[in-house]
Amino acid sequence: MTENLNDLELLALYKDPATKERGFTAIIKKYQEKLYWHIRRMVITHEDADDVLQNMFIKVWKALENFREESQLYTWLYRIATNESLTFLSQQKKRNSISLSDDENGLSNKLKSDTNFDANKLEWKLQLAIQSLPEKQRLVFNLRYYDEMPYEEMSHVLETSEGALKASYHHAAKKIENYILNN
Amino acid sequence: MEKQTEITDELKDVSPTLASMEKVNVFQIPEDYFSDFDAKILTTIFLQDKKNNFQKVPEGYFNSLSDNILSKIKSENSETPSEEIKAISPALHYLKEEKVFDVPENYFDNLSDRILKKIKPPKTKVISFSSRKWWRYAAAAVVTGVVAISSLQIFNHNSNPVTTDKAIMQLASQYKTPAQIDKGIASLNDEEIVNYLEKNGTILDEETISKNVDTTALPSEDDYLLDENTLNNYLNEINAEANQKTQ
Repeated sequence: MTENLNDLELLALYKDPATKERGFTAIIKKYQEKLYWHIRRMVITHEDADDVLQNMFIKVWKALENFREESQLYTWLYRIATNESLTFLSQQKKRNSISLSDDENGLSNKLKSDTNFDANKLEWKLQLAIQSLPEKQRLVFNLRYYDEMPYEEMSHVLETSEGALKASYHHAAKKIENYILNN
Repeated sequence: MEKQTEITDELKDVSPTLASMEKVNVFQIPEDYFSDFDAKILTTIFLQDKKNNFQKVPEGYFNSLSDNILSKIKSENSETPSEEIKAISPALHYLKEEKVFDVPENYFDNLSDRILKKIKPPKTKVISFSSRKWWRYAAAAVVTGVVAISSLQIFNHNSNPVTTDKAIMQLASQYKTPAQIDKGIASLNDEEIVNYLEKNGTILDEETISKNVDTTALPSEDDYLLDENTLNNYLNEINAEANQKTQ
């Protein structure tokens, strides 16, 4: 029923008190997997991703009332997911403020404690390489490499110019390649 | 052939050594050097012909230059992410499909329900009556009524009973307000409450309770069945009254 509706139609459902929950459920269903993976790649463990995803949708429930339709729902949701992930990581950083290394959130350790982790496998090396990037570059890389987001949309999500994003992505990809080749 | 023989004979005459040596070409040329050689020559000729024309800018070139550059930028931007990463790093392009992270089975199936439940906790509804829950509330109610006048030993998690006045006072100072008592009770598990009640059953005699708890104000049994918050509401009321009295 609500599966093939576009964002404007979904928002219209949400704005009508009679169909508000139905509209909201449909919005969750439409975007849950994309947003989940975006968050998961930032926070690494499923439990943390689940927390961040649920909290973000709880905030969205309220914030949607003030959502202006000139911005795209899709990029708006990504922006919230990004902010929530970064907030989560910075809270974790504060909690673990004793060990201030490059990888302040211990994300590499989280990767290594994954039951499937295999240091000899290239795909896991790639994950370690991604965690070695600065936060912003990591976001840009993930959004482009995995989510295949156009720079124009990414510029709305991360509030950065397209040129800067493109440069950032190229740097990130090169750094990752070097990491994989040298580790 | 005749000519070839002549030349060989000639060499034999001049230097029999040289003539006896095999002819080997020691010089190398780039592979396929000749395959597009003709095209290279033709291009060179063409460029030389056009050389003079290159000094001139086509008519209207600068008028449309900015548009041309912009459209080129746009077409670069329209490069798909997968083409782009292939150009930057082919290795990353091929790695992309490798899945590394697991998600619990059916995680996404009921995610929206779980979120909606958190947003709108269910209001009053008839609940199935779990005896364990009932016991918990009852024990909490009795303990709340009695704790204020009892020895507070229930909060003493140490196995050694508190005996000295000083220790009792110390313990009591931790549980001055109803909120602190609530917190203390919340920190206990069922087993601790049961053990306490079993051990110290004597202080829970009817007289003590009736002196300290106004049973007429207790909600009726039906209320508990209809609303699981009945006891909470009741306890909140008592707490509110107690707070008012202490203020």
